[in-house]
Amino acid sequence: MSMQTPKEIGGIQFGLMDPETYRDMSATKVITADTYDDDGYPIDMGLMDPRLGVIDPGLECRTCGQHSGSCNGHFGHIELAAPVIHVGFTKLIRRLLRSTCRECGRLALTEEERDEYSEKLIRAEELGNDPNDVLKSAVRQARKQSYCPFPDCDGVMHDIKHEKPTTYYEVQDVLAGDYSERIAEAMQPDPDDEDGEGTSPRDLAEAVGVELERINDIMAGEFRPKSDTRKKLEKVLDVDLTEEDMNKLMPSDIRDWFEDIPDEDIEVLGIDPARSRPEWMILTVLPVPPVTARPSITLDNGQRSEDDLTHKLVDIIRINQRFMENREAGAPQLIIEDLWELLQYHVTTFVDNEISGTPPARHRSGRPLKTLSQRLKGKEGRFRGSLSGKRVNFSARTVISPDPTLSLNEVGVPDRVAKEMTQTLNVTERNVDEARQYVANGPEGHPGANYVRRPDGRRLKVTEKNCEELATKVEEGWEVNRHLVDGDIVIFNRQPSLHRMSIMAHEVVVMPYKTFRLNTTVCPPYNADFDGDEMNMHALQNEEARAEARVLMRVQEQILSPRFGENIIGAIQDHISGTYLLTHDNPHFTETQALDLLRATSVDELPPADGEEDGEPYWTGRTVFSELLPDDLNLEFRSSAGDTVEIVDGQLVSGTIDEDAVGAFGGEIVDTLTKVYSETRARVFINEVAALAMRAIMHFGFSLGIDDESIPPAANEQVDDAIGNAYERIDELIERYEADELESLPGRTIDETLEMKIMQTLGKARDSAGEIAEEHFDEDNPAVIMARSGARGSMLNLTQMAGCVGQQAVRGERINRGYEDRTLSHYQPNDLSAEAHGFVENSYRGGLTPREFFFHAMGGREGLVDTAVRTSKSGYLQRRLINALSELESQYDGTVRDTSDTIVQFEYGEDGTSPVKVSSNDDNPIDVEGIADRVIEAEFDSDVEKERFLGGREPPTNLSEYAGPGLNKAQGMEVESDD
Amino acid sequence: MVDVSQHELVPEHTVLDDPDRVDEVLAEYNVSKTNLPKIKSSDPALPEDAEVGDVIEIVRDSRTTEQATVYRLVVE
Ligand SMILES: [Mg+2]
Ligand SMILES: [Zn+2]
Ligand SMILES: [Zn+2]
Repeated sequence: MSMQTPKEIGGIQFGLMDPETYRDMSATKVITADTYDDDGYPIDMGLMDPRLGVIDPGLECRTCGQHSGSCNGHFGHIELAAPVIHVGFTKLIRRLLRSTCRECGRLALTEEERDEYSEKLIRAEELGNDPNDVLKSAVRQARKQSYCPFPDCDGVMHDIKHEKPTTYYEVQDVLAGDYSERIAEAMQPDPDDEDGEGTSPRDLAEAVGVELERINDIMAGEFRPKSDTRKKLEKVLDVDLTEEDMNKLMPSDIRDWFEDIPDEDIEVLGIDPARSRPEWMILTVLPVPPVTARPSITLDNGQRSEDDLTHKLVDIIRINQRFMENREAGAPQLIIEDLWELLQYHVTTFVDNEISGTPPARHRSGRPLKTLSQRLKGKEGRFRGSLSGKRVNFSARTVISPDPTLSLNEVGVPDRVAKEMTQTLNVTERNVDEARQYVANGPEGHPGANYVRRPDGRRLKVTEKNCEELATKVEEGWEVNRHLVDGDIVIFNRQPSLHRMSIMAHEVVVMPYKTFRLNTTVCPPYNADFDGDEMNMHALQNEEARAEARVLMRVQEQILSPRFGENIIGAIQDHISGTYLLTHDNPHFTETQALDLLRATSVDELPPADGEEDGEPYWTGRTVFSELLPDDLNLEFRSSAGDTVEIVDGQLVSGTIDEDAVGAFGGEIVDTLTKVYSETRARVFINEVAALAMRAIMHFGFSLGIDDESIPPAANEQVDDAIGNAYERIDELIERYEADELESLPGRTIDETLEMKIMQTLGKARDSAGEIAEEHFDEDNPAVIMARSGARGSMLNLTQMAGCVGQQAVRGERINRGYEDRTLSHYQPNDLSAEAHGFVENSYRGGLTPREFFFHAMGGREGLVDTAVRTSKSGYLQRRLINALSELESQYDGTVRDTSDTIVQFEYGEDGTSPVKVSSNDDNPIDVEGIADRVIEAEFDSDVEKERFLGGREPPTNLSEYAGPGLNKAQGMEVESDD
Repeated sequence: MVDVSQHELVPEHTVLDDPDRVDEVLAEYNVSKTNLPKIKSSDPALPEDAEVGDVIEIVRDSRTTEQATVYRLVVE
């Protein structure tokens, strides 16, 4: 089997094609509209001529001698009986018709204008502006001319009317049919002028300078005045004697016209005359696409069904032939013109069947035909559907579910998926036994193999029957398509893919059941949850892709988000509640308990006990947590719970570990570990924090019930009092308003002022209700813990549940809509009170009144509508941004440029740094001090340490968690820093 | 009329009138004039004497670094 050597595309040039080129490249002229003869053989010089390529397996191509599959097919051609216009160029044709002289073909611009536009065109190209704007203005300028500007020609420049899609008219002013009546009417005395006498024929003859006899003939309609006489008559009588005459330009006329346009003039219009001549826009030869581009299919009943393009070509050939026959028979002009139009219609719809104003050509069934344009255009077209986006092999999609025992780098793959997706194993002397084992396991056993490829290129399917035998035949040089196994790298994706972290590489862990399993810490980057979300997986098919995925795309390499330069992967929800419970009150644990907390981590030995209690040694929660930290970590920051977290030499001395310490979206410890230590260290830390937190939260137990949102009756009374107070104040406000005593705020009307003051009062009432409720919640209330630690929810949610839901708003105002002058028929008209305008004084736990419930639904609906609108709006905005920025690239010289090398930024981000490579804190955008400190510290270390520092140690990012050495190395780094 | 170019939020725009400086800038970024970002000659921030074809140096405060210098080509 000989393979063609791959060729490199050096460039692509777009232009018009010479009809001679069509003929030269044609394998055959097509003259018969028939496809196959009665015996099922393709007819010579028919549309399925074997010289146009082969589709039936076994047949040989009569042009290149190859079989179907290797022969790409060859173009043929149809000699059109008369020229027709190519619909794709109607605008350009119109432009040329309007800007050139019919007599001499030259562009109707003066020398200076021509130079001006040539220069403008060059400038537009230089500056990257749209050259079309220049061309349009050049055409507009040329069109203004009513006579050819060249003195040696002086031809009339008629206006051109374009009737879509392919008809052009020359608009001429000719003598109107009723010219004699118009003259007679103009000669009548003016009815408004009493003294008017009108014009006598004698006066007219004198004024025009023609004999009286001639004038009389003209007035009798017996003589048609010539154009100069006509103009004089018009001038004297102040009358219009012309009407518009539309002279249809046949494609052949246009072709002759365009042939006269000189090369220099085309250049001004932005056409390269060396490659394209305008007359080529009028087709005289039609290329016939190869049969491979329009294969016929055989239906079950043995009937052949032809491609839409073939149907269209049949039509064209039929009409073409009828045209020729009629012309040879000397048919009347009318019939010829009808046939010409029909030919034009068929060629037009062959190119584009969705032209407005033209009925689409239809299949017998009534379905519009899919012709050339329709193959390319639109979402399912060749560009968007087949080239930019394709369906791919080696991909899988299923529901996702959580698995906290996996590493964040891993993904659980169902065994039935693993058995379907394969990786190519090149058999060498070192893995031949392994390869044989895969084949021996067959396609059903895991890990097995689905196909093998012999060195001669033959692909064999591994079946349950042949696998044992086939396994013995596997030798060096074979390829085995083995199943996915633990440790393989795959790409994992959740749509919508809004940022880089929506597609990350994971290592496979083959598992039973039907869902993809992932560690819950990777939910934020994917924006995934487990309420039925599905995700896609792609198995990589070559070594380069696998290496790139491992080094660049693995989850741990994506811990830092380029959006805000901090970690986007970290502890979430229950992890945070867990670490909070573990560290907030610093509880004591016995040895068994402490070991149980750490059992899912790599820590297998406890540090010295913190003390003794009842004769038993105990360990504190912070000590247990500290086991996960590197021994040389020093940090100080404020926690979300409000205390100061202090970490000295890897020991958590004080403070609560919560969202601000280990959370996704900028948890301080995770962020520091990633930036200062390594991605691998951070990955190990996040995995272990998640594991420890789960053990911790299970140790304490964590649940939320209805009673956790209740407050004592006394507190309830306090809340009622606070709200009652607010009501009183509002009544006062309303009284003052009605008595016209209310002073308006600056820039507000009195009505607005009242509304604002009421809103303010009610807002305060809700806040104080919230404060009262908050006072009565225990510190260990689960909802309080979640809100304080940042795990989920806020204190506001809590006060709404326990205290008072508060004012409902639509469009930022109290609810004012509904009935005339009132919100509901339950209220008096113009009732300004709080309850009539959507203030909910009850709590969610206490329950809303029906009217409150209704108002609450009004506010709630606005929220839903807002989110729905926002997601679609932001999605579109994102798409447009991506399209606008997609071709920008940061260059080696630090600049950001587009594809035409125009500079967009002189220095990437103006500081030339990547947000994920810069360490920063709130005071300093770049933590220069921190970096300098660490550098100096490194200087003072032992020489060995220093040497290693200067030698620059690369973090071992590309090592599998399953590769023993990788794991050792990652841990080795910690061991070294221990001493 | 308010002179926009004097507003505190409008950064300093200066014409590079020394041809050597222009060449220097073009050489530094290895570009032709037309590959610089553009500024319309009608832009009110431009100094009076700026003409089409001039290169303008703009020094502005930056969110990521102290000061950022950019160059623009004046176009019609
Ligand atoms: Mg979901
Ligand atoms: Zn062939
Ligand atoms: Zn002319």
